[in-house]
Amino acid sequence: MAASTIMKKTGAALVAPVGWLAALIDPPLRALQKATGLNGMAAFFLAPNMAIFGIFVLFPLVINFAYSMTGGSALFLSGRTYVGAEQYERLLTCENYLDKRSCVEDLFWNAAGNTALFVLFQVALMTVVAMITALILNRELRARGFWRAVFFFPVLLSPVVVGLIWRWILQRQGLLNYLLHQFGIDQVLWLTDRFWAFAAAIMVSVWAHMGFYALILLAGLQAIPKDLYEAAEMDGTRPARVFWRITLPLLMPNLIVVIVLALIRAVQIFDEVYVLTGGGPGTSTMFLTQYIYEIGFAQLIRNPGLAAAASILMGAVLVVLTLLQLAASRRNQNAGAAK
Amino acid sequence: MGRITLDHIAKAYGSVEVLNDINLKIDDGELVVFVGPSGCGKSTLLRLIAGLDQPTAGDIRIDGAIVNRVPAADRGLAMVFQSYALYPHMTVRRNMAFGLENSHMPRKEIEARITEAARMLEIEAYLDRRPGQLSGGQRQRVAIGRAIVRNPTAFLLDEPLSNLDAELRVTMRAELASLHARLKTTMIYVTHDQVEAMTLADRIVVLRGGRIEQVDTPLNLFNKPENLFVAGFIGAPNMNFFPGQVEETLPDGLSVSFLDGQKTPVKAATNSGAAMGAVTLGVRPQHLHLAQDGEPQIPVQVRLVEALGAETVVHATASGGERVLAVLPGQPAIAKGDRIALSYRRDLLHAFDGDGMRLAGN
Repeated sequence: MAASTIMKKTGAALVAPVGWLAALIDPPLRALQKATGLNGMAAFFLAPNMAIFGIFVLFPLVINFAYSMTGGSALFLSGRTYVGAEQYERLLTCENYLDKRSCVEDLFWNAAGNTALFVLFQVALMTVVAMITALILNRELRARGFWRAVFFFPVLLSPVVVGLIWRWILQRQGLLNYLLHQFGIDQVLWLTDRFWAFAAAIMVSVWAHMGFYALILLAGLQAIPKDLYEAAEMDGTRPARVFWRITLPLLMPNLIVVIVLALIRAVQIFDEVYVLTGGGPGTSTMFLTQYIYEIGFAQLIRNPGLAAAASILMGAVLVVLTLLQLAASRRNQNAGAAK
Repeated sequence: MGRITLDHIAKAYGSVEVLNDINLKIDDGELVVFVGPSGCGKSTLLRLIAGLDQPTAGDIRIDGAIVNRVPAADRGLAMVFQSYALYPHMTVRRNMAFGLENSHMPRKEIEARITEAARMLEIEAYLDRRPGQLSGGQRQRVAIGRAIVRNPTAFLLDEPLSNLDAELRVTMRAELASLHARLKTTMIYVTHDQVEAMTLADRIVVLRGGRIEQVDTPLNLFNKPENLFVAGFIGAPNMNFFPGQVEETLPDGLSVSFLDGQKTPVKAATNSGAAMGAVTLGVRPQHLHLAQDGEPQIPVQVRLVEALGAETVVHATASGGERVLAVLPGQPAIAKGDRIALSYRRDLLHAFDGDGMRLAGN
C-alpha cells in the first residue's frame, strides 16, 4: 500500500470522531438556534468564558468589596460584622496628611509612600534603561540575536527565583560584597541599609522586567523606516538631534505603552522584593501589595476587611492607570490610521 | 556647478560584487537616468554618489574634487527617496525646514526658501499639513520641495515616481521635466521604467549585473543599441530576435539567412571578425508591418491580438516556432488564429554577432 494511501486512511480515521461528534451535537444546536436566534447562540458560546470570568474575576471582586465593608478577624464572610465604610475611614484618616505618623493606619501610608517613590524611580529608570538597551540592540551588532535573548532572559524567570538570586548576590556575605572585598573595598549593607535596600529593590525589579519593555521599544525602533535616517543623514543632522527630533517622536506610541505598563506593574510590585528584603529593613521596602498581604493573611491578628479596603483603593489607582493605557493605545491606533 | 565623475567605481558586499568598474562623466545641468533590471546596481550607484554608502574601489568626483570620504551632508547633493522619506510627525513646512535648520541658516532665509519652493511646486496650501494628510502626488512634491530648498549642486532621485498610480506618474514625469528645465541643475534619476528614462533623460545609463552596458541619448539607445541586452531592454514592447547565419559578405555588409532560410542583406563593417558565423537579427515590433506584394515576408500565425485603438499589438508565432511581436498602426482586421505575413524594412534591422555585440543597423 502506498504511503500516501496509508496517510489518507489514518487521517480519515482520526477525523472521523470529529464528524460523529458534529453529527451528534448538530440537531440540538440547530434546535437551540431556532429557539434563541443568532444572538442567543452568540451568548450560548460566550457563556463558558463569561462563567470563568465571573467565577474567578468578577465574583472575587464583589466578595472583596463586601469584605472591605466588614470588620473582625473571621475569615468567612458569614462570621464577619458589617461596618460600612469604617475600614476606608481608618485607612484614609490622618491628622496631617503630610505626616504619615499622624495617620490612623500609618503603615498603609508608609507602604503607599514607598510604592509612590518606587513607582517614580523604578519606572523612570526602567524606561531609560530599556530605551538604551533597545537602541543598542537595534544596531548592527555581532550575534545580535544572542544579545536580544540575553536581555530578555530575566523576564522568563519566576519573581521568586529573581529575588533569591539577588538576595544571594546582595546579602551581607554575598557575592557582590565578596567581589568588593577582593578589590579592597569595604562591604556594603545592600539589604539592611534603608537606602541601599530601596535602591536594590528598584535595581532588581528593573533587571527582571527591563527585557520585556526593551522588546516593545525595539519593535518600535525597527518600525521606523531606514529612509528617514538616510534623509536625516543627507540633511546633515547630528546624531543627538536625530534621536530627539526623529527617533523619540516616532517611538512615542511605544514609549507611552511602555510607561503605562511599567506604571501598572510597579504599583503591583510584591514578590521579588518580598523575597529579596521581606519589606525591610523595618518597613522601608514594604509596598502596598505586601501591606495588604501582611494585614490580610500574615499577621497574628488578621484584618481581612482592612486588607480588602486597601486593595480596593489600590485597584482604583490601577483602573486609572489602565484607562490611561487604553487611551494611549487608542491614540496610537488613531495616529496609525492617520499616517 | 554640478559635474559628477565616476572613476573605476566598484562596490562589493562581502564576496558579492554589486558594481564593477563604473566609469561615467555627468555634465553640469545634465539629466542622466540610470536604468536597468532589478538588482543591476542602479540604486547602489546612486547611494554611492549620495554618500550613503562607500565604494570598495574607485573615486567619485564632484566638480573635480574627490568626495569619497566627504560625508553625505557635505557633498552639496539632495536626494529624493522612493518612499519620499518625509518625517511623518512634522508638518510639510517643518519637513522642508529640517535640513536647513541643521546648517543654522537664519529663520528668514529658511522661510524665503520654503515659500519659493512651495510656490514652484504648488504646495503652498499644504504647508501646515502632515505627510499623512497628503495624497501620493502631494507627498512627492513635498519630497522634491525638501530637496529644492537645499539648493543643491545636483539632485539624486531614486525611483521617485514608482509609488504613484499610472496617471499621476505621467503628470509628475512632465512636471519633473519642466522642473529640470527651470532649475537647470544636474539630476541623476534612477528608474526601472524605460518610458520614464526615455522621456526624461538627456542621457541614459543602461546597467546590468553591476556594469554599464551603454551610455547614450535615448534615441541613440533605441536606434543603435550596442548589444543584445540594450536592444532587448530599451523599447516597449521588446525587440524581436531571430537567430541567423551569415551566408556571404557583400560590398557594404552581409547577407544573412534567417527564418526558414530567407536571406536579407544587413549593413555591417565587412572587416568584422565575427562576420562569418551565427548572428542574431533584431527588429522592433513597431518596425514590422503587414506585407505587401514584392516585400520580404515573415509568415506567422496570430496567437493574440491586443487592440489599443490607435495601434494593435499582435502576438504571433513564425513557422519555426519563433515568437513574433508586431505593433501595427490603426485597427487592422486581424483575429486570433489568422495566418498573416509580416514584413520589415531592411534598413531598420539590427544585427548582433555571436557575442551579442552590435554588427550592423540603420
